[in-house]
Amino acid sequence: MTTSVVTPPASGHQPGAGGRGTPAAHVARRKKLFWPFVAPTLVLYGLFLVVPTLATVVLSFSNWRGAGDTPQFTGFTQYAQMFSDDGFQNAFVNTLIYITLGGVGTFVLAFLFTMVLRDMRGNKMVRAILFFPNIVAPVALGMFFGVVYRYQPNRQGLANYLLESVGLSAVKFLEADSVTWVVLGSIIWASAGFYITILMAAVDRIPPYLYEDASIAGASPWQKFRNITLPLTWDVVGIAGVLWTINAIKIFELVFVMAGSGTYAPPIHTWTLGIFVFDRSFGGTPAYGAACACAVVMIVLVSVFVVALRRLLRRDAIQF
Amino acid sequence: MSTTALSSSSTGSTGQPPPRRKAPRRPKPAPGTQRISPLRVIGLTVVWLFTAFNLLVLYWLIMAAFKTPLEIFREPLSLPATLFERGTPFRNFVYAWESAEFGTAFLNTVILVAVCSVVIVLVSAPAAYALSRLGVRGSGPMTAFIAIGMGVPFQTVIIPLFIAMSEIDLNNNLFGLALIYVALSLPFTVFLLTGFFRSLPDELEEAASIDGASATRTFWSIMLPLARGGLITALILNAIGLWNETLLAIVFLQENANFTLARALFTFYNAASYQSEYGGLLAGVAIIVLPMLVMYILLARRIITGLTLGAGK
Repeated sequence: MTTSVVTPPASGHQPGAGGRGTPAAHVARRKKLFWPFVAPTLVLYGLFLVVPTLATVVLSFSNWRGAGDTPQFTGFTQYAQMFSDDGFQNAFVNTLIYITLGGVGTFVLAFLFTMVLRDMRGNKMVRAILFFPNIVAPVALGMFFGVVYRYQPNRQGLANYLLESVGLSAVKFLEADSVTWVVLGSIIWASAGFYITILMAAVDRIPPYLYEDASIAGASPWQKFRNITLPLTWDVVGIAGVLWTINAIKIFELVFVMAGSGTYAPPIHTWTLGIFVFDRSFGGTPAYGAACACAVVMIVLVSVFVVALRRLLRRDAIQF
Repeated sequence: MSTTALSSSSTGSTGQPPPRRKAPRRPKPAPGTQRISPLRVIGLTVVWLFTAFNLLVLYWLIMAAFKTPLEIFREPLSLPATLFERGTPFRNFVYAWESAEFGTAFLNTVILVAVCSVVIVLVSAPAAYALSRLGVRGSGPMTAFIAIGMGVPFQTVIIPLFIAMSEIDLNNNLFGLALIYVALSLPFTVFLLTGFFRSLPDELEEAASIDGASATRTFWSIMLPLARGGLITALILNAIGLWNETLLAIVFLQENANFTLARALFTFYNAASYQSEYGGLLAGVAIIVLPMLVMYILLARRIITGLTLGAGK
């Protein structure tokens, strides 16, 4: 199902020595290296990723609670129970919000920035500063946001301090009905730099004379973006979209720490799928079957989004 | 800054047309662009405000690590004073360092991250070379198969891994965690390095074989040095990723003596916020962020191009 997910770049032309006229003996000797070189990676990959993933799928059909309990296979019962569970429903909706709205928000922001950054002074420095949140541990970011968004009259966090200092009233950012949106905004802020950087790297490869010609022809910034930037960075946009999905589906520590106390899972309305899995396995009372079922949902969700993205964005790459 | 850029462009177009002979690296905006300058001013303003905001946030974090809770919330933008007046400017850091046992955690993390990053590259580089340059049938699909691993959320594998690691007594063990770190970092690293190896020219390999170098020797003394940039980038990116990794550390480490920094910080958060030790809390955040900040300032370009390479081409 997911074979089309990540095609290696330029898998079309294998630069092997195959048909290039090198001595056949040499080619054969080199090919003997293949298995010794690849084996360690394949073994580790198989043992730590492929087998556990399959095991998770198998366990998701059981009602296993955890160590000391004998798993009984109950078909789709775990899934049925899970889908009617409040925690899961919240987690599912929140995760969808983060993937879709977060993705749209981040990419709109990133595109707006590329329009400006392209021919701006000091753009290398600006890019480096915008990128910085991406090398900060999500736990640290979450704790940091927790203090920034604090609501307590007379002892406001930075966000409310700034609001009050311009005469607005303080907001209870981390309350039930706003926390999802606050987290969404924080995620967009923190990750925008990464996508700006990726897109800008693609934009930098576009020959400047295209923009000059467009300017002489009187094109507006939007027209330049629509007719030059977007078509020429299309393949990178596709890859960036896939990366966004992969990263957004596993959002965990940031929300866990930002919306909660750190030791126990945060209130149920803030959950993401990652938090649900953690809560059912290592957080509260263990329910490994349910946790595995949720993990399977995560994998399915990634696959669906990635395949859909690649379908939607499939377009012939423009050579330039 | 934005005004200078603007005024230079307007003088350029009101006078004579900009010189178009010698193409400058960043060409001046052509006459047409001047029409939409209000929009551009807004755009530049937004970008600079956003950038300034990021700097403000960093400033706030570093300053707050030297403040009392009262100062953090009452005077968030001013310079720290109280702790300096008391003559204990590093009080928050000392508090965090001692109560979260950051000392051991720091050592654990440095060793773990260093060993794992090196092992990851040592395992990935031959695989990436074999997959991208030996022309063995099936390497394309195999590369794709490994790359798919990048899309597997860790939550999918933690439960079976936790059970298996407990069975073989590698749970709550830094060596066990290191094994997991290495294995789970392979998909990204192999993917990144295949890109690097693929971009190398064929001729050198051929020349080496004509000179009679063995295949292994060609790899060690010709191809690896050529891909040095890629290897270093892979090393740095893995080091950053593992330094910040939290989920696996939470699941697989239970004893304080084994904690990594991110893991210790996670536990410390609860205690510190319960005691309203916001200064200490942010000092803890600073302890984990500052080494990365220093590394980032030194290596920003390589980190950025590396990540972009991994993502883009």
